[in-house]
Amino acid sequence: MAVIETRGLGKRYGRSVESLALSDLTIDVREGEIFGFLGPNGAGKSTTIRLLLGFLHATTGGATVLGGDIERDSVAIRRRVGYLPGGIAFWDGLTGERLLDELADLSGRPPVRRAELTDRLELSAATLRRPVRDYSRGMRQKVGIVQALQHDPELAILDEPTEGLDPLMQRAFYEYLDELRAAGRTIFFSSHILSEVERVCDRVAIVRAGRLVALEEIPALLARRKRNVELRLAGPAPALAGVAGVSDVRVADGRLWCRLEGDVGPFLAAIAGAPITDMTIEPARLEEAFLEFYETEDEPPPPPAVPPVPAAAGGSVSG
Amino acid sequence: MNRALLAHTWRAYRWRLLIVSVALVGWGTVLPVVFDSFGNQFQGLFDSGAFPKQFSQFGGGDFFSLSGSVAIGFVHPLAVGLNLVFAVGYAASAIAGERQAGTLEVLLARPISRRGTYLTFALAATIFVAVTNAALTIGTFLGAVITGRTAELGAGNLPILWLNGSMLFWAFAAVALLASAASDRLSPAIGISLAFVLVSYFLEVLGSLWPDAAFLQPYSLFHYVDAKADLAGLPHPGDFVVLATVIIVAVTAALVVFPRRDIAAPT
Repeated sequence: MAVIETRGLGKRYGRSVESLALSDLTIDVREGEIFGFLGPNGAGKSTTIRLLLGFLHATTGGATVLGGDIERDSVAIRRRVGYLPGGIAFWDGLTGERLLDELADLSGRPPVRRAELTDRLELSAATLRRPVRDYSRGMRQKVGIVQALQHDPELAILDEPTEGLDPLMQRAFYEYLDELRAAGRTIFFSSHILSEVERVCDRVAIVRAGRLVALEEIPALLARRKRNVELRLAGPAPALAGVAGVSDVRVADGRLWCRLEGDVGPFLAAIAGAPITDMTIEPARLEEAFLEFYETEDEPPPPPAVPPVPAAAGGSVSG
Repeated sequence: MNRALLAHTWRAYRWRLLIVSVALVGWGTVLPVVFDSFGNQFQGLFDSGAFPKQFSQFGGGDFFSLSGSVAIGFVHPLAVGLNLVFAVGYAASAIAGERQAGTLEVLLARPISRRGTYLTFALAATIFVAVTNAALTIGTFLGAVITGRTAELGAGNLPILWLNGSMLFWAFAAVALLASAASDRLSPAIGISLAFVLVSYFLEVLGSLWPDAAFLQPYSLFHYVDAKADLAGLPHPGDFVVLATVIIVAVTAALVVFPRRDIAAPT
């Protein structure tokens, strides 16, 4: 079942080209997955979230969240959703505890997960008794995470959730997300931090200039990325021209560099017997995949340029 | 309407409401006391011609009767300013201020409709204005008790005065809340609301001091509060109709505008 389903969702603020914030977004977020939503600032991530939550009204297309239409059923949807905005603001005069109580009251659901969240994020009772205005950036972010998840929502929409958290807290948070996923909760995880998306997400959508440019399982995306290979040689370089998956071959000063994509079998067969003294293969990182989408063209890619989605990915891609 | 949001709003503003109410009780108490102490001197001052007669008729009141003095006190800039703390200060910031601060995002992520949010803020403004006007009315009654002039005041008609004064500030609050619902930033919402009040006040004062400008007074909402007539038990039904019309139009417009508009991201 799709927890979030958008069909040609678009948002335009005026009539000029620059006013196009989101165009023809078609994605499905499945139940029980952590779905990464990736893109630089201004790519359309926050616009998408704001459309899903009813803060903005779509100019084209539509979407459903938890089976409800985002325009007609917005209140019912928000009853089942937890939301962490990017750069969250609070009523700073309240104590952390009072704030969480009031937000739980407004949610209309008991804060069943608050105790475990404050424990994991190391928000002590003494800290929660202090006014929010005295909190550091990281503490505010922790309170933001707690308020988004304390009522155990079926879907959590998290916008840059680890901003301001130290590495230990980030790890604790990632582990908590893993547990939520195991409990069948769905997480829509918007970020521009590639390493965390790679660490926690099952699938990722990459948006660029308001358009979806990729929607794939993370392993599938990484498998298609080119890895950088460096060989140190004690003799002549092996012939790699025409070997499947190998490109950008350069040889100099007893070294060989190339890029490797997909199955490594043909490459290994081609270098068998070569006088290799050392070999380094840099694993594919999401960062490279991401940059590839962003560095190839200045203009947003037209629909035909969208990479094909493997059948296993189960999602659709729209340009 | 949302009970949790109303409770949150009440907790956020209760101390400010108490301070403003105490100040208005004090001001209301002073009005009969000042008339009791200086009423005759005022009469002599104006009879001597030292001041134009129009100065004694400011805001539809006069200095020569208790009810006239109370009427002046009700539209005195101090009383108006204190009432505007909630009628404009709270109402204009209720939505635009929360939006600008980024807290509207947190609020609207909860299962509350935009209309429900607006109506809750409108109910809060209604309560706040009712309380501040009640404080002014109670203060006036206390002043009449202190000076032993309750019968002269027409104390039994104080609820009419309270209703008339409250409707004036409910109308200002409705306009301010409409400006707030239509704005992304606080300063335009406050600016528009205050401009509306100031222009209204200017037209009424100008019309009361300068007979040639009296035709401008019907364009002022202050024109539709006649404390003297209210205290005499002879309120003008038309005043209530005009104020109610302004409230209904502003509330209806806000109920249409707020749900339809986009809520910009916090800045």
